[in-house]
Amino acid sequence: MILVNKNTKVIVQGITGKMGASHTKRMLSYGTKIVGGVTPGKGGETVHGVPVYDTMRQALAASGATCSVIFVPPYTTLDAACEAVDAGVELAVVITEGIPPQDTAKLVAVARAKCVNIIGPNCPGVISPGETLIGILPGVIFKPGPVGMISRSGTLTYEIALVLSDAGHGQSTCVGVGGDPIKGMGYEELLSAFNEDPATDVIVLIGEIGGSAEEEAARHIKEHIRKPVVAYIAGQTAPPGKRMGHAGAIISGGKGTAESKMKAFTAVGVKVATTPGEVVEMVAAARAQSVGR
Amino acid sequence: MNLYEHEAKSIFAQFGITIPPGVRITKPEDLRKIHFGFPLTLKCQVLSGGRGKAGGIKFAPNLKEGEEIARTLLDMTIGGSRTESILVEPKVSIARELYLSVTLDRTRGCPIFIGSAEGGVEIESSGKVVTVPIPYPFQPYVARDLAQRLGLTGSLAVKVAALACKLYKAFETLDLDLAEINPLVVTTGEDVLALDGKIIVNDDALGRQEQFKGWQSKHLGDLTERESRSRLMGLNLVELPGDIGILCNGAGLTMATMDMVKKFGGNPATFLDVGGGSDQEKTMFALEIVAENPQVKVILLNILGGITACDDVAEALVGFMKKNPEAKLVVRLRGNNQEVAEEMLSQSGLKLIPDLQTAVGEAIAKSKVPTCAAR
Repeated sequence: MILVNKNTKVIVQGITGKMGASHTKRMLSYGTKIVGGVTPGKGGETVHGVPVYDTMRQALAASGATCSVIFVPPYTTLDAACEAVDAGVELAVVITEGIPPQDTAKLVAVARAKCVNIIGPNCPGVISPGETLIGILPGVIFKPGPVGMISRSGTLTYEIALVLSDAGHGQSTCVGVGGDPIKGMGYEELLSAFNEDPATDVIVLIGEIGGSAEEEAARHIKEHIRKPVVAYIAGQTAPPGKRMGHAGAIISGGKGTAESKMKAFTAVGVKVATTPGEVVEMVAAARAQSVGR
Repeated sequence: MNLYEHEAKSIFAQFGITIPPGVRITKPEDLRKIHFGFPLTLKCQVLSGGRGKAGGIKFAPNLKEGEEIARTLLDMTIGGSRTESILVEPKVSIARELYLSVTLDRTRGCPIFIGSAEGGVEIESSGKVVTVPIPYPFQPYVARDLAQRLGLTGSLAVKVAALACKLYKAFETLDLDLAEINPLVVTTGEDVLALDGKIIVNDDALGRQEQFKGWQSKHLGDLTERESRSRLMGLNLVELPGDIGILCNGAGLTMATMDMVKKFGGNPATFLDVGGGSDQEKTMFALEIVAENPQVKVILLNILGGITACDDVAEALVGFMKKNPEAKLVVRLRGNNQEVAEEMLSQSGLKLIPDLQTAVGEAIAKSKVPTCAAR
């Protein structure tokens, strides 16, 4: 698995909010080590037994956490995430949707300078099934196994994890990188991490229309990735010029089409599925082959 | 949110960028009150691109012809966007045209300046584009670097760099996705001014930009009436030419469902992402707005609950079916509180399909049944 495991200590920023509190409960019941929460002005309270601090500096000093998961409203996310970076987390997972992209660009610049990993924003988070769940993914759908998943989508990740799990293909780690045009960790870093991870045999990449990240990922796979990769691109029949739900999902000026992305993957030997069902078939074939090797 | 040219220009002026004098008119007779002297440039104010090619910019040599031209322009619709007004400006004596914009670069994850030593229509294909990433925090040297890379020297380089700083300031302060000046004109008197401009305000930032409060409803461009209403409700609806209304939670799943419908021989009529933590009121609104579309023969609802509670969705469905007993529904619902939802819906005679591919198949089959016979 990559990024997170059962020992990862996590702080929930925005823990006293409705979303923060309810997902803290769900993460705790999954077994995630939630060691603290932060809400300015609410220090000293507890939420589901978790101590609340006023600042990230206090929370980290008291708990030794290395990871933060962020549930604060969009216009305060830049502040909260920069606070996490400055306090010394190694990984910040930003669930919040609707952050103005210039805020994200500033956050990315600040995090890069301190070598902190950001996942998201506008993402479901990350799960290493059977170990830990950091975010809002429905834990029950995911099963432990050798498939690494990287995805720009939330519910589509659940859909594909569901059919994979039902067919006996569990997952090592699933990372939702988020649906925004500007984001933290991207395909390339995560592909490389899965490539190095002994618990991962096959990588599933779930992309969608908009931007050129999938084309860049294809080049990266050709040069650096030795494990089999199965790709799926959502929006194969999307009309041009229309934003399809995600801020980043738009074909503009003829660029960012599913066709271009699928071509780029096929050209470097990546199997490209056209339905979630086909992802399962291709993962099964890749696993059978890697056993044979 | 796309802005009209005249709005973009007033923002440029607000940040100290020189713009040509101009007057906005909504009636041909208004031309009589303008005292710039002929010839005049008349420009359609529309939210779509390709205005010049579509004939939305004309020169008027005198008042008589000007009024005639104004009448034609005011009737124009370009790329689905109706002419809102006409911007009238005196002709500018141009020594040189440049291109300058600030936008966000998805690959680099930061803002960039894009410049060209030649302004005009086909900037991207001209091969003379200069791109300069803007580090955070911004410093003016980046703008000087841009001017130098554009081959500018002396006082012109200084003027263009100063203008680029102002453009970045507008971009950052107002949360713009794009601030573009094309052409950026150098006049025969060596003034630099924004002859035409385009601004896109980031939709997610509208809640914190007081300046644009209440603007959204007037800037919906080529959206259909139902798409506009959904946008104002915070839902993303895209209407398509088919007959299957698709509603899902989450953008990726909605796209995947749409792709599957198409792949297996159906035709999507709507793409509607009801969002992750969708509440009953929103789900109800979403169902109603899809059912309102006369093209829609069958509604395919696909909810895979992460945050979404299935019983909330079921409650909205029960309410919807009471109001619309003739609607044809195919429902795939899986996730939190699924058993409660199943119980509620079975009382209304609706069977849940747990598997997506089966649900898609069923929706397509129902869409092929002739409408009259089905009812």
